[in-house]
Amino acid sequence: MKYDYIIIGAGMGGLSAGLNLAYNNKKVLILEKNSLPGGLVTTFKRGRFEFDASLYDLMDYGSEEHIGSLQRLFKKYNLEIDTLPIPYNIRIKSIDDKLDEVMKGEIDDWVLRLEELHSGSMSSFRSLLPLLKEIHEALVALKKGRNNLEKDFPNFIKYVDKNAYDALVDLNLPIDTIHLLGYIWIEIGSPLNKLNFIDFAECMYKYIFRRPVALQNKSIDFTLKLAKRIEELGGKINYRSLVTEIKDTEDGKEVILSDGTKYHAKDVICNLSERYVLKELIKENIPQANQKENARTLSMNGLVVYLGLNKSYQDLKLYNYRYYEFQNLNSVVNMKSMKKFYHHTLEAVVPNIVNEQASPKNTTILVLKTLYSGDVWNSVNKENYYQTKEELANALIEEFESAFHIDIKEYIEEIEIASPITFERYTNNINGCMFGPMRLGYDNSIHRLLSYEEERIPHIHFVGGSSLFGSGVDNAFYSGYYITEKLLEEERRSE
Amino acid sequence: METVEKLEKIKKEREEIIASFSKKPLEDTYLDKETKKIKSIYHTIVTDIKEETPDVKTFTLTADKNSDTPSLAPFKAGQYITIHVTVDNSPVTRAYSLSSAPSLANKDIYKITIKRVENGLVSNYMLDNIKVGDKLDVSKPAGDFGYNPIRDEENVIAIAGGSGITPFMSLAWAILEGTYDCNLTVFYSVKTEEDIIFKKEIEEINKKKKNVKFIVTLTREEKEGYLHGHLTREMLEPYIKEFNTVLMCGPKELYRSMNELLNEFNIPRKSVHYENFFVEYEPDEKTTYNLKVVMKEKVETIPCRNDETLLVAMERAGIKAPSLCRVGECGYCRSRLLEGKVKMIGASLKKAEAENDYIHPCVSFPDSDIVLKLDI
Repeated sequence: MKYDYIIIGAGMGGLSAGLNLAYNNKKVLILEKNSLPGGLVTTFKRGRFEFDASLYDLMDYGSEEHIGSLQRLFKKYNLEIDTLPIPYNIRIKSIDDKLDEVMKGEIDDWVLRLEELHSGSMSSFRSLLPLLKEIHEALVALKKGRNNLEKDFPNFIKYVDKNAYDALVDLNLPIDTIHLLGYIWIEIGSPLNKLNFIDFAECMYKYIFRRPVALQNKSIDFTLKLAKRIEELGGKINYRSLVTEIKDTEDGKEVILSDGTKYHAKDVICNLSERYVLKELIKENIPQANQKENARTLSMNGLVVYLGLNKSYQDLKLYNYRYYEFQNLNSVVNMKSMKKFYHHTLEAVVPNIVNEQASPKNTTILVLKTLYSGDVWNSVNKENYYQTKEELANALIEEFESAFHIDIKEYIEEIEIASPITFERYTNNINGCMFGPMRLGYDNSIHRLLSYEEERIPHIHFVGGSSLFGSGVDNAFYSGYYITEKLLEEERRSE
Repeated sequence: METVEKLEKIKKEREEIIASFSKKPLEDTYLDKETKKIKSIYHTIVTDIKEETPDVKTFTLTADKNSDTPSLAPFKAGQYITIHVTVDNSPVTRAYSLSSAPSLANKDIYKITIKRVENGLVSNYMLDNIKVGDKLDVSKPAGDFGYNPIRDEENVIAIAGGSGITPFMSLAWAILEGTYDCNLTVFYSVKTEEDIIFKKEIEEINKKKKNVKFIVTLTREEKEGYLHGHLTREMLEPYIKEFNTVLMCGPKELYRSMNELLNEFNIPRKSVHYENFFVEYEPDEKTTYNLKVVMKEKVETIPCRNDETLLVAMERAGIKAPSLCRVGECGYCRSRLLEGKVKMIGASLKKAEAENDYIHPCVSFPDSDIVLKLDI
């Protein structure tokens, strides 16, 4: 069986790549080891609850007036999904900073609140906004292959080699404001002094100008729509197809499944981390590629506790969509505190706040997450695995209860706990990492993008949350589009 | 030109940093290794068979050290494993609750306890044919049934009917070993004294007078030392506290009658949990339909009776359809219904699965000729 392209993995990157290739009439086959599409964008049922495993905020979607790149791509592929707006409604707490703030309403409201908190923050924050736009536009130009960026985007060039913290200091933001606004580092997984300012600015840009949306239906509805569209466009998806090897052949690549089935294509697109593919699927040694992976830092992994509560969010007094508790607002200090099992940093999301239909009437879904930095899980083995998971989940729930003075425990009807092993088993992400290789120092998205051509492995390409643009559904999806556009362009050029 | 220089500098810096690292092949992290140990299928050897009653046997399964699965995955009390056997040339599976202490998995041992079922293809095969030394493939432990220390109350009432005792035996061991800090009272109803599974263990545990207690009721005979008849309000009342968790495992009739009883004690829905292990369905009129199975590389059309599930029909025809829980719960067998109608009994479908014609063949009975897309 010969294909133009074989895609390994029907996660967001793989589905996106499949859509673009099928849309361009390429003969494409997606091989997915699970029985449903989506990778981490999936759901699971417990009793009367259906939990979304990971996707709550679909970033870079935007509104009708401010269309984000995801929405633009969906329109191109004629894909319609029902979305709901996500208002600013987050509560941030920091123990060391003695801070407990709710950011709610319109952006202007919390800019005013920022000024109240940190005098002088308003004007510098306002001057940051056009900069975010400039950097975003510069990135668009860069992705389109433009070289002379300095004329139109001087600030992009000015800040391209700066980390987020230094750049924000340079932009005269009060230090406290930097740390507060920088809370978003927890969604990227890199501390502000290691996160490149361009990466940070792009994330802020999307968050402020291309507001995230929630899906009206569960995420499997969304991924099945993507899969269905691929099939309508002539693409093929084989489920329960675990790839065990990628081999060189005379005219391309051979992909071998666990049951021995073989498929051929000239190019293979992996919706897997480079590390996994080099380690598990390619038998020959590629020293340069190994070197790049050996140089990288694995991102944090975590524990997620999914709770189905038997009361409405109003009755439970869960008034905020997202909750964050930090030990310290300074990301560098905070990350150090995450090198042990028991620490205070947690994130929570209450999907019912933006979607009344997230769970049955008079029930609420609450998802708690915490992260671990380093080798914390190395003390866990099969003898203490379940007990450790339960103890950690219990501590996380109690931390949430005491941080926000909300009673949860007595209302738990369903509970599921996902550990790094759960995530690694389901998606093959290395070390259960939540964010792929950590975006830090020389290895931020901007660096991967600039060095992309030089670092390519012939006929093997990478998409998804561990690839070019980093983790997150928006980045994973966009990577699938970006990489396949490059491939299509190369095809056109060679013709 | 400054632009180009700056970007080139950034690239060069990256190149230099990468160049300073080793080119040696990548290694697994500790978690990668731990994750790799978890397999979908484990190869085991039957190392002991114990007759519990004339029609019940406990099989001790030990990891086959000479296979690629020399160690077994851990499990939580209440979970099941699915065994894979070939009976009459058909590859079939059955799910059985683990009856052993979860700590035995650390020694790479699982135990399952199987009761003979009238016309039961697999139970009869296991009881009559399997000998010590035989090899047996089993799934990794699965299922959400059981005690959860975060969700559940300290006072746990377990209600077991017949072979429904097995997950509670595992839970009893877990509590006695100190894994969970709770009080467990197991109400165990069987027909006669002869039908009591784990009779000796139950007597020993009851003698210890610790936080686990078994109360056996005989429904078909009166004997000293046992309660008589079906469970009543009076039997339960002394053991009900202010907050309770109720776990039930047994036939559907047991759940129906117990639900009425539990309502009287005002036990909230969130505190009652069931294990489903029966799929019961009787069609009005028996008939046989055609089941066309569209696989990745081939298509087969086989007969399917309307009093058997699509999964059973496929197994009989020698098609290795995926299956795990066999009660519609886990979704492992999910497949797309391309044409036809089925009667699905108790399938736990995701909303989008239902809207996209996915069915769980393990609990789907045909209501017409069927075309099924099977991803194998």
